[in-house]
Amino acid sequence: MRILPLFLAGLLSLPPFDPRLLAQTAPLEQLQKPSAEAVEIPFQEYRLKNGLRVVLSEDHAAPTYSLCVTYNVGSRDERPGRTGFAHLFEHMMFQGSRNVGKGEHSILILNNGGSANGTTNVDRTNYFETLPANQLELGLFLESDRMRSLNVNRQNLDNQRHTVQEERRQNYDNRPYGKTYEAVLDTAYDNFAYKHSTIGSMEDLNRATVEDAADFFKRYYAPNNGVLSLVGDFKTDEALALIKKYFENIPAQPPPPAVDMTEPEQKGERRRTLEDAFAQTPHIDIVYKIPPGNTPDWYALDVLGDVLAAGASSRLYKKLIKEKELAVSVSAGPHERRGPSLFQISISARTVDGVPEIEKIVYEELERLASEPVAEWELEKVRMQSQRQQIESLYSTRTRASLLGQYAVYYNDPRLINTVLSKIAQIANDDLQRVGRAYLKETNRTVVITAPKAKSTPVSK
Amino acid sequence: MAASFPWASMKAFGQEGATPLSKVERKNKAPVSKTVLQVKIPKPVETKLKNGLAVLIVEDHRFPAVQAELRLRGAGALFEPPGSPGLAGATAEMLREGTKTRTSEQIAEELDRLGATSWAASGFGSPDVVLGASGLSANFDAWFALLKDILLHPAFPAHELARKKQRLKVQLRQQRSSSGFLAEERFSRAVFGSHPAAVVSPTAEAVEALTPEALAAWHRERYSPRNSILAIAGDVRPAELIPKLEQFLGDWRTAEVKETLPPNPAPASARKIYLVDRPDSVQTTVILGDIAIDRRSEDYIPMVVLNHLLGGGSASRLFLNLREEKGYTYGVYSSFSALEYPGPWRAGGNMRTEVTEGALKEFFYEIRRVREEKVTDGPLEETKRSVVASFALSLERPARVLSFALTRKIYHLPDDYWDTYPAKIVAVSADDVQRVARKYLNPETLQLVAVGDGRKIKPMLAKYGAVEVYDSAGAAVSAPPL
Repeated sequence: MRILPLFLAGLLSLPPFDPRLLAQTAPLEQLQKPSAEAVEIPFQEYRLKNGLRVVLSEDHAAPTYSLCVTYNVGSRDERPGRTGFAHLFEHMMFQGSRNVGKGEHSILILNNGGSANGTTNVDRTNYFETLPANQLELGLFLESDRMRSLNVNRQNLDNQRHTVQEERRQNYDNRPYGKTYEAVLDTAYDNFAYKHSTIGSMEDLNRATVEDAADFFKRYYAPNNGVLSLVGDFKTDEALALIKKYFENIPAQPPPPAVDMTEPEQKGERRRTLEDAFAQTPHIDIVYKIPPGNTPDWYALDVLGDVLAAGASSRLYKKLIKEKELAVSVSAGPHERRGPSLFQISISARTVDGVPEIEKIVYEELERLASEPVAEWELEKVRMQSQRQQIESLYSTRTRASLLGQYAVYYNDPRLINTVLSKIAQIANDDLQRVGRAYLKETNRTVVITAPKAKSTPVSK
Repeated sequence: MAASFPWASMKAFGQEGATPLSKVERKNKAPVSKTVLQVKIPKPVETKLKNGLAVLIVEDHRFPAVQAELRLRGAGALFEPPGSPGLAGATAEMLREGTKTRTSEQIAEELDRLGATSWAASGFGSPDVVLGASGLSANFDAWFALLKDILLHPAFPAHELARKKQRLKVQLRQQRSSSGFLAEERFSRAVFGSHPAAVVSPTAEAVEALTPEALAAWHRERYSPRNSILAIAGDVRPAELIPKLEQFLGDWRTAEVKETLPPNPAPASARKIYLVDRPDSVQTTVILGDIAIDRRSEDYIPMVVLNHLLGGGSASRLFLNLREEKGYTYGVYSSFSALEYPGPWRAGGNMRTEVTEGALKEFFYEIRRVREEKVTDGPLEETKRSVVASFALSLERPARVLSFALTRKIYHLPDDYWDTYPAKIVAVSADDVQRVARKYLNPETLQLVAVGDGRKIKPMLAKYGAVEVYDSAGAAVSAPPL
């Protein structure tokens, strides 16, 4: 449905929560209503006394459950000189807490048949585990113990700094096009919040101190700054009782400071070319600044991206790959972000010589989208494919738990799991032309071309 | 070698005299249910169509979607004639580029509009072509009919094949930029030798030589219902579906596809070290291992336990040692492939260039340790518990349930194979683990591939034996790097 699901986003942050307003646990809403869409995920919401938001979705289809804790912190919250910190900190969350030894978290999960991990993006950090249904208490205990009492010490920090630096080498520095995305962000954005990558720079990772980590934990990893979502084979009242037992006496903290996400209007095209020592063929990224996720314009751009490049019947696929044979792959669509987002078109080209013509064709197609209605079958196709993709992802309790947590943190609206398809279905031709004209224009464009570096002589020759 | 363990909580299991290397620490305070959740993998409905096609169906009405997978036995890359690497894969990928009555564009448009997707491929070394599809159940009849057209009446249009060849040749170039591909290529050649599974990629010459006639012949001679299995999972009712499948696929003619497997690959008799020089690398991609077992081997179950203990995940010995203790890598894992013929056990990962030597030392250390020291009860029980309990998680996806049934059918395993699988895992003893470790993981004869900055890592590799050097084009380099 969208390119780069790794870089998710949105507009509204959770309003600062005052724990005094909800002195007792109370269901915020109970959603069972059928919808026009094929799939309805039922869930219930609660808020604990300390502000922890809880979303429970009971489902007895398989004897498993997934637990996800989503914290309202991402690389957007980092400051200059400390890039990569939110993600480095995510690694620290597996290094032990008061009642869990270093590394014991993963061992307990795996040895009981489960799987676990955490991910950090620009707008949020989450932690999740999937376990057999009879280990419900284990998952809740592990998540609560590290929220309450993480061990932050120099030895763990240094060790994880090395691991993260290897992660950076593996995913950025030692692979073709690994540095392209950082160049795209750095060129397109003006505001520091989204201008830097989540992995951060080697230098900044080296600078991170134990004090940084301790402050970060206290500020962001508070119950009132997170959402616990639980999906799967449990009884809601029993699960809620256990959640209260393990989480409710973790103290709330003052809400973290809001981040300035304002991005000045772009006045002209920006271009950058990088040489890549590993790349064998050129790569073109064309991006436009667009509104945050979960806005009408964002959904229209999502549909527009699919019309351009989803599947072999899409316009750019047919033109660039089949008809002109200038490219071998193409993708297009918006990143989902809580703040100013990007619409990205990525093309793997056959030759450097073909790059100007590829660009010309892309701009012609964008112009066509802004000036002519798309065919009804193209809209129908996007709706059907979105539906299929959503259904296929929802088999997994982990996906459901992650989406509920993310929609709660991003937009204060976990119901989006059930309404997002109708928002896509409502997009009409007028919307596509409107957003095409408003955002996909030359002055709002950033072009980054990654070219193979002229061959150096290998040392072995 | 001193006995030492990455399980810092060894004392919890009464381990004597061990100096824990790792900082991993266990407090044993978490509430763990002692029962291992017993799950029963549902059995799919099994039938055979009149033309001989085996059908497996898993009914699951949670969501209005269906996944289908057709495994065409004997049509895979394993049986490609020498000099034609990529023929099976290209035939599969060209299925949806045109039929007798539909153009490539029409197929793409129809599939997309129906909310369906399809793909077809044959992995190198695989005896099968797999044609997969998924879509909304409301439109099942329409997209399955389209799939039938793709499967039975492909036209292999010359102009589409010409385009496909162009794209393939670019992809051949692109894959050489990945250290993972270069390592895979060299490792497969090292362990498979003259066995066809040594091939992991087409060549530009073989791609150039592809013709519509060659693809059509491969399709005509090898795509047969008699050898094949159709697996369907999701929102379907077998009683309605089976007659429909008869109707859809009844006119699929049967061809005699008899394939004899090539002689089995054998484990190496001497350790060999391969360096693929990739200038500008900041990490070394390492793979080491050797030919182990096939899927029907009686050692399969103990190998599952051994591999899980050694490198099967983030609680394994290799991961805890090289990542969690030493910080050498973002991740290190081991795995083994076991098909109709023996495949390799292997371990590997990406290590920063400077610690390549240290990482190699730890790989060898962990392999020697699992051979020389019997695994103690605590870690063994935990490993087995992990394997058995993770079974429950596979029930979330109907397609996963189906894959168990497929495995049973393809390798002719007993009907109750998955029912008794947990008990078989539980029955594995420390002696079993040590026995298979000694049999299949031999540090003196394993094949070691390292892709990285040749100038820096060659001296480190040379400590383990004579180093053969290759460039990133795959060619042997006569003069070794300085």
